[in-house]
Amino acid sequence: MVHALEKIQRLLKPNGCLIDIHPVRKAPLIKIYRGSDLLFAESDPGYDYDDGLRHADDALNEVIQSGLFLVEGKSEFELVTYASSAPELRDYWAKYGAFDDSPKDETVTARQNDVYAKANEIMQDAAGAEITYYERARITRLMPNARG
Amino acid sequence: MTIRVDPENNEPHALFDLADFNGQRVLEIGCGDGRLTWRYADKAANVTAIDPFAESITQARGNMPDNLRSRVVFHHVGFDDFAAASKASTFDIVILSWSLC
Repeated sequence: MVHALEKIQRLLKPNGCLIDIHPVRKAPLIKIYRGSDLLFAESDPGYDYDDGLRHADDALNEVIQSGLFLVEGKSEFELVTYASSAPELRDYWAKYGAFDDSPKDETVTARQNDVYAKANEIMQDAAGAEITYYERARITRLMPNARG
Repeated sequence: MTIRVDPENNEPHALFDLADFNGQRVLEIGCGDGRLTWRYADKAANVTAIDPFAESITQARGNMPDNLRSRVVFHHVGFDDFAAASKASTFDIVILSWSLC
């Protein structure tokens, strides 16, 4: 990852900037609301990329500490995905998972099946409810440092 | 209902708080289906958006609004190959879009 950030520095104009957006190290939440009533909230058992996020944070810290980039600003925001059913939401995320060819953990898959089955039951008993997926992300603006 | 992602526009609000895209040359790494690209591309001078997954790039090209066709180019390529073929000091803004992990 540090290698990629070094290549990005080369591609940037001297007064340019890098904007990095990546999730914070916290499992996304699956929630069901009907109006303002929260009917269901569970962490996504499919959150198995904490190591990847830690490496991303470490890589950013390394290029900042080495002087390759300077931090000019950062913040966090919530990215919320809405679906009309639990299967629709699961299919949507499975589309992204389809690119991941690493072996699937059977325990994680079983827990996902359980969470989505519970969510599906609640959705079927709650007309007008909406299922959502909350993911928190950090956005950072970095400026290439000519002295880096 | 179909899937709706970030109808509150939290992501573009956070993006525009940190960067002014007006007239800028932008590289987006990990553009996926173009979900974020559409939010800022109308302000940029031009956008090169890359992703290593062919299916994502096909979707992005298919979803491209007509008004952006002259300024957005999608490439199915990994970042290492793209960087090796690119000149230094080319872009004003590089976005790592949920891809540094």
